[in-house]
Amino acid sequence: MKKVCSDWTKIFSEEFVNPIFWNDFELNAKAAHTEIIKVSNFEEAQMTISDIIRSTKAKSIVAVGNEESTKIANIYNNLYNLDVQIYTDKFAIAENAPTADIGISIAEFAVGETGSVCVDCYSYESRVVGMLPPVHIVFLNCNNIVKNMTTAFKVISQGFKNGYMGFITGPSRTADIERVLSLGVHGPSRFIIIAVDVPAIGGVN
Amino acid sequence: MTNNRNIKKEIDVKLHDEVLRDALGRFVDQYSDARLKAYANVDSIEDLRDSLKEMKQETVAHIEEIADEFEASVKQKGGQFYRAKDGDAVKKYLLKICQENNVQRIVKSKSMASEEIHLNKFLIDNGLYVKETDLGEWMLSVAGQRPSHMIMPAIHLNRQQCADFFSQELKEKVPDDIDFMIHKAREVLRDEFLQADMGLTGANFGIAENGAIGLVTNEGNARLTTTLPRIHVILIGYEKLIPKIEDAAKILRLLPRNGTCQRMTSYMTMVAGPTPVIRKVNGNWIEEDRQVHVILLDNGRLKSAHDPKFKEVYQCVRCASCLNVCPIWTLVGGHVYGHIYSGGIGVILTGLLNSMEDFNKISELCIGCRKCVSICPGKINIPDLIEELRAQNVKNNGLSLPLKVVVQDILANRKIFHTLLRIASIAQKPVQTGNVIRHLPLFFAKLTNGRSLPAIADEPLRDRVSKLLEKNPPAPVKRVAFFSGCNIDFVFPKTGQSVIRVLQDLNMEVVFPEQQNCCGKPVLGMGDRETAKNIAKNNVIVFEEAVVDVILCACPTCAETWHKTYLELFADDQEWADRVRKITAKVYEFTSFVAEAYERADRLIKTKGSKKVTYHDSCHMNRGLGIFQQPRQLLNAAVDYELVEMKNCDKCCGMAGAFGMKYSEISLPILKEKIENIKASGADTVAVACPACMMQIQGGLDQQASEIKIKHIADIIAEHLE
Repeated sequence: MKKVCSDWTKIFSEEFVNPIFWNDFELNAKAAHTEIIKVSNFEEAQMTISDIIRSTKAKSIVAVGNEESTKIANIYNNLYNLDVQIYTDKFAIAENAPTADIGISIAEFAVGETGSVCVDCYSYESRVVGMLPPVHIVFLNCNNIVKNMTTAFKVISQGFKNGYMGFITGPSRTADIERVLSLGVHGPSRFIIIAVDVPAIGGVN
Repeated sequence: MTNNRNIKKEIDVKLHDEVLRDALGRFVDQYSDARLKAYANVDSIEDLRDSLKEMKQETVAHIEEIADEFEASVKQKGGQFYRAKDGDAVKKYLLKICQENNVQRIVKSKSMASEEIHLNKFLIDNGLYVKETDLGEWMLSVAGQRPSHMIMPAIHLNRQQCADFFSQELKEKVPDDIDFMIHKAREVLRDEFLQADMGLTGANFGIAENGAIGLVTNEGNARLTTTLPRIHVILIGYEKLIPKIEDAAKILRLLPRNGTCQRMTSYMTMVAGPTPVIRKVNGNWIEEDRQVHVILLDNGRLKSAHDPKFKEVYQCVRCASCLNVCPIWTLVGGHVYGHIYSGGIGVILTGLLNSMEDFNKISELCIGCRKCVSICPGKINIPDLIEELRAQNVKNNGLSLPLKVVVQDILANRKIFHTLLRIASIAQKPVQTGNVIRHLPLFFAKLTNGRSLPAIADEPLRDRVSKLLEKNPPAPVKRVAFFSGCNIDFVFPKTGQSVIRVLQDLNMEVVFPEQQNCCGKPVLGMGDRETAKNIAKNNVIVFEEAVVDVILCACPTCAETWHKTYLELFADDQEWADRVRKITAKVYEFTSFVAEAYERADRLIKTKGSKKVTYHDSCHMNRGLGIFQQPRQLLNAAVDYELVEMKNCDKCCGMAGAFGMKYSEISLPILKEKIENIKASGADTVAVACPACMMQIQGGLDQQASEIKIKHIADIIAEHLE
């Protein structure tokens, strides 16, 4: 899958990324209506996703990230056992994203000060999985947190030459009618982060 | 565009629009606290603002090189690049792209610049199908209305009105249930995204270093507009360019917080060059690179970039927070500003990017309170730029005839001006009650509707001084010249007496140069710089001749005019600039001067008193001179008084010089709010340090809360000096 930077973790250093910003991140993300589920390994992550599938009665899932992580690929493989269709091929994603119930992708790192996650979505499929289904789930390594946007952009400036990337901070929202907050206007109404505690600096792997 | 506009009538309609007033009222009540809450986890808002301002100033200083670098980066990534000098050029280029690529359907997101050049109408007239995708803008386009706010375009509507527009567009009855409407919009607009051939967006910033553009949205419509269609066109103004990727953080730490009181919006998207798009062609899914076109729009922007004053507009990040705190915008909303951009920055952008004719219609819709300056992420001196535009306009077109008589023949001539004021003091007798005028006959009546006007005093200060100055101390520590300003001289001479008394009590000798004239602020407000220069020169000469240690003003506007404006007026005149610099070094404002003297004399001791006093911060004092602690120190130390704060103590009272008279319909509701806050504080006295505020608030108290007294701080202090 095409990415802006093939390995963001190479840019990380302790100066930029530090788990001590987790509490800030969690607080700010929740304030922005992000749901956070912290898990200690990928087995727990799989159970969490199964729970979400069951509770939302999802029938169809579009997902990326299996190429980057064998552990994530395993999760997707195991989900075939549930009564749910999971699409990971880019053309299949393009075809099914408009009607899918859940989209799954990966975040590169998170920002403490704002509760945002940085997403590298050069590829078309990584963008539609996050925008078209009503529920968007992302995997995040909970150790990869930067302090604020200033540090986030120090990281980005080293990896961003071409392509498409950015931040997601909660679900799609509007307050255009009487300034009443409403979720899910164009994009997902639920944004769920599965934060995997993988020690040592590194990507989701 | 609409030069026969009756702006007064438009304002009147908005003031009677209950839906609008209700929506804006609720918003204003929440905005300031919500904004500060969003900033609660940053070390220093000021540091962030400074770093944004410096980055933007540095950029505009090298705008051509940055634009060249941006162009080279976009091309290097494989994007098409076009510089458009105006709206017509954009339209021609865009139409060509549409025709060459068989584009029929366009979805749009986040482009005020396209509104600025009336692009939608042009595209539709040329047979294209165009849809706005921001929910608010989509509703407005259905309603045939313009956005009234850059970030909250439909804030002037309520849910019933929105439901009507939904029903009209979808040709079915849509209930006024917000959730239902949102989900309906999702369905309808989702189809628009999926079918569109072209996505047209603006940009919150464009990065020269890598040619990326950045888009900030909450709905995610920009993300869809840049993802689904096979062509992406970016319309970006020069002012959005920034040099480095890291500079984006300087915008992003401020824009969401100031704009929507969020630490970050839901989506922040950056696109550099073509990106893949997957679509079905002849029944087969294919992946290809999306066509990307970047149109860099001038339309007046480059001219501003090279103007020593107006280059400041490049510091704007379009957060619209200047609207949110503007006493005028929050009363009448955005539509009366007529063009695309509203509020303080809108007045300026209308003049720079649209036309001076349209600017003239709305140039007075700034009360000069500087509240916007205090929160603007880029620290733009919005009222100063508006005044600068007015001045350029007067320079090019002159004042209108009645104003010309008032300004050049009356205000500039001290003798005539003062004689007229004396005549007025006699002529007003039939309508005068005590110190105020409660009712004016006929069409002037509106001026006194909810506010009494001050009466011109029987005996101006200048006629009383000789007696007062007899009490000067025999061995003074300082010689002080009192610059009274017109209000104290002719309306509140008793306050002038108090000022003199307080100074004499500090063992200072007071002199009152009789040749002093008005400070010139009203003339400058109308944009007549040449007359203002004459007035300034007169005052400089008179006070040079007085040979004193200190020149004291008990009016913050006068003090600010001396300190800041006189220097600006003579920026190109070395000789006068030097003289002004020398003399203004002696100019002080009353409360800060006295507070410092009392501090040294150990007289700033907090006392408890039986009379509750609340303090109104004058805009010119608080935000103009940065003085807000000293008046409170003096009140805390005043015998018999106890200071209680009121809500929104630093919000403008609505006077702002001539504005309060000319736009009484706007001034009076602002005053009413002030009076309500004073009443709610429980104070029996309101203290001010500005005679213009004193005039306005006294007029409101007289009709709405006559049990509450108003006093200048000088009057309060003087009460206990023998």
